[in-house]
Amino acid sequence: MTEAKRYKAGLLPSLNPLGFNVERWSYALHRATGVILVGYLMAHIFETLQLSGGSGAWSNTMNALHSLGPLEMVGLWIVAGSALYHGANGIRLILNEMFGKLMGKPILPVYPYSPTSLGRDQRVAVWTITLVVLALWVWAGMYLLAGLGVV
Amino acid sequence: MRGTMSDHPNSLMKESWSMLATYVTAIILVFVLTFHLLLESPLSGKSLDATLTFGAATNNLTYYQVVFGLLLLTAVIHGLNGIRAIAVEWLHPKRFRLVLNLIIVILMAFFLAVGTYTLVVVG
Repeated sequence: MTEAKRYKAGLLPSLNPLGFNVERWSYALHRATGVILVGYLMAHIFETLQLSGGSGAWSNTMNALHSLGPLEMVGLWIVAGSALYHGANGIRLILNEMFGKLMGKPILPVYPYSPTSLGRDQRVAVWTITLVVLALWVWAGMYLLAGLGVV
Repeated sequence: MRGTMSDHPNSLMKESWSMLATYVTAIILVFVLTFHLLLESPLSGKSLDATLTFGAATNNLTYYQVVFGLLLLTAVIHGLNGIRAIAVEWLHPKRFRLVLNLIIVILMAFFLAVGTYTLVVVG
């Protein structure tokens, strides 16, 4: 896209993930998984509250969740993947932002403004996290989806 | 006289405190959430169904009440502060921020109260 077209397009191109670099992808995924986890946290607090109503209330809650069928375990698998990615990527972000690790040294902004934060260490960290999380997510899927006959 | 950034009503220093809370709760969450997940995983030696029984769930809350209390506190602060951080990027005017902060604080208090009630009654 030319400069003129980019200005006219405003913020819309920023919603197109195809133009993202790996750091931007991890930023978007971190936020998306964070929102999923907050939604689950709120539901989980209310789910756990049913324990205070005794075994009958807990059984009713479990039965209601089981009535969702495969959606229950698929939902838990998505939550597990979100927790794994958010946690692992969060550790990278803490190393970046709290301790200044894995990032290049700051330089004066020079066109075309290549970010020094996207050096070799950062790329290795992002891809290592992606591979480890994918492996653990597959393992979690084998555990959670086993009863569905999926794996 | 020139003011510093911390003198400004929308001071970045306030956001720094909020981000510091996010980082500190994140570090604690890595440990307590890993512990919570391990209790429910095959590594605990139980099947998934066995970890979801009334007895197993109440036992976990009773034996590890302090850990689950810490998990509740850090997860609620970290999660809702994260939602606030996302919303702040969209809601720039100061009046929206005040309303947003108020909503987030009320939600934090509400979920902490519900979670604490569960821990006290069950534990």
